[in-house]
Amino acid sequence: MHTRLSRRQSLKLLGAAVAAGLLPSLPVVATPALVSAADKSPAVLLRKPIGKQGNTLPVIGMGTWRTFNVGSDPKLLDARTQVVKAFFELGGGLIDSSPMYGSAPDVMGYALRKLGIPDSLFSAEKVWSPAGGSAREQVAELKKRWQVAQFNLVQVHNLTDWREHLAALQQMKAEGSLGYIGITTSHGRRHQELEQIMTSQDIDFIQLTYNITHREAEQRLLPLAQEKGIAVIANRPFDGGSLIKGLQRRGESLPDWAKAECGCTNWADFLLKFIVSHPALTCAIPATTQVAHMQENMSAGHGPMPSASARKRMQRYFAAL
Amino acid sequence: MSGGAGYQLQQFIPFSSDVYLRLLERIGETYWPWHIATLLLGVIVLLLALRHKASAGCMLLAPLWLFVGYGFFLQHYAELNWAGNYIGYAFIAEALLLLCIALSGKGLAKTAPDKRPAVVIGLALALTGLVGWPFIGLLSGNSSFQAAVFGIYADPTAIVTLGLLLIMLRGWLLWLSAIIPLLWLVVSGLTWWVLLTPQ
Ligand SMILES: NC(=O)c1ccc[n+]([C@@H]2O[C@H](COP(=O)([O-])OP(=O)(O)OC[C@H]3O[C@@H](n4cnc5c(N)ncnc54)[C@H](OP(=O)(O)O)[C@@H]3O)[C@@H](O)[C@H]2O)c1
Repeated sequence: MHTRLSRRQSLKLLGAAVAAGLLPSLPVVATPALVSAADKSPAVLLRKPIGKQGNTLPVIGMGTWRTFNVGSDPKLLDARTQVVKAFFELGGGLIDSSPMYGSAPDVMGYALRKLGIPDSLFSAEKVWSPAGGSAREQVAELKKRWQVAQFNLVQVHNLTDWREHLAALQQMKAEGSLGYIGITTSHGRRHQELEQIMTSQDIDFIQLTYNITHREAEQRLLPLAQEKGIAVIANRPFDGGSLIKGLQRRGESLPDWAKAECGCTNWADFLLKFIVSHPALTCAIPATTQVAHMQENMSAGHGPMPSASARKRMQRYFAAL
Repeated sequence: MSGGAGYQLQQFIPFSSDVYLRLLERIGETYWPWHIATLLLGVIVLLLALRHKASAGCMLLAPLWLFVGYGFFLQHYAELNWAGNYIGYAFIAEALLLLCIALSGKGLAKTAPDKRPAVVIGLALALTGLVGWPFIGLLSGNSSFQAAVFGIYADPTAIVTLGLLLIMLRGWLLWLSAIIPLLWLVVSGLTWWVLLTPQ
């Protein structure tokens, strides 16, 4: 990922970060005076810091599980390329995939070949034991499939053989052949083991399930990540789709205060802003097959963000639905 | 489908129902008009089985398993699912097993098919897979290229084969050769269950 920013962009970015309470010592506050809710230009997509070199990531990324596994179907390949195009046009950065996701890494390769590789791309892959081969071999193979020279982030998928894989990834990072390293889980599984890894290993990222209905990570993992400066990616932000599609199917209406307090105009805003406004969270990675949904999701990455008290209100409202 | 067990199952099904249906359609388009030949071959194998010519029946069945293993799984399904290669090799192994049975004559039924339950069930399964299966898809609104035809698609191939094996084989070789078709039907059933369960 390249971080070439003009002075104007840098100021906007700083403003956006302040607005969302993203700078480390500031509380999460929404300040519409600094970033207007109507200003949805990519430049003011909120970003959060990662690592120690002062890099940042947009708070909304994208996932590829199921949605991007379309094989060699030309019609679907082009349709997914349009989704990636919209993502980049709206200022998107992190794209998450895995060798477990069938053809998704090849589909990314197709899209990047068609669209070119923008500076904003933050490519996140995984090593996953059932895919076969060592971590090094898997990363080499995945680079060919994505057609990128290097990944920004490589994670150990679902903690599979993490000791062996993490050691290999640490070595590759030291050699400079990848940017950051991390480890993933989902569905609240193996949190204790993840906590041990976070305390004992030198990792840059963790990825776990965090959404308004799955908040177990708030207890120990998120505070620990904050303390250790580990970036956190929230997977399954819509609980695999059931959350948002369920709300939409039942025709649940958004409370008026959600618009006033944090600029929520739809359920995607409500669910995603809830996630990324947690001070320990770096970004959420909703997956979609549709350009319109991508636009909705990216729009959630703009200020204002819910304050701590608004987050509590969101939880109460949701629990009562 | 959102619990841990659901996720374990979902790991094996990394695609959506739309994409799977589209894959089935593309397979149909790719192999047309071979459907007619494989269907005809299925009818011939059924007639051979009913006329107590099990060895010839197994001999004709084997290349169809090879074709589905290669053409359905290795060439197409494996694009969407990392497990597809393993399933493809399993189908090819079934083809080899059928060939061995045909050549060795071991496990073949010694008496002509009569009205025993195994034969009746076998006939019902074979007819369901050959005639009924393509229509199920068509009736549920799939395109004609998604019509699941024996010898091209995995599901009807496994169902018809189970029926034919019940008519043609006896003893442990019947059970051994039924394992792969049965396992695939379980996997396929779970796949459709996961895909059709609303998110
Ligand atoms: N262990 C791991 O490492 C792990 C585990 C799970 C997930 N992940 C990562 O996290 C990503 C996200 O999780 P997920 O894909 O399981 O679930 P998700 O992002 O919570 O939900 C995806 C579903 O939400 C729907 N959706 C997206 N935006 C929408 C909108 N604005 N309105 C209505 N529906 C919308 C999509 O359908 P449409 O196509 O119709 O938009 C899709 O079916 C994955 O893709 C993967 O990259 C990693």
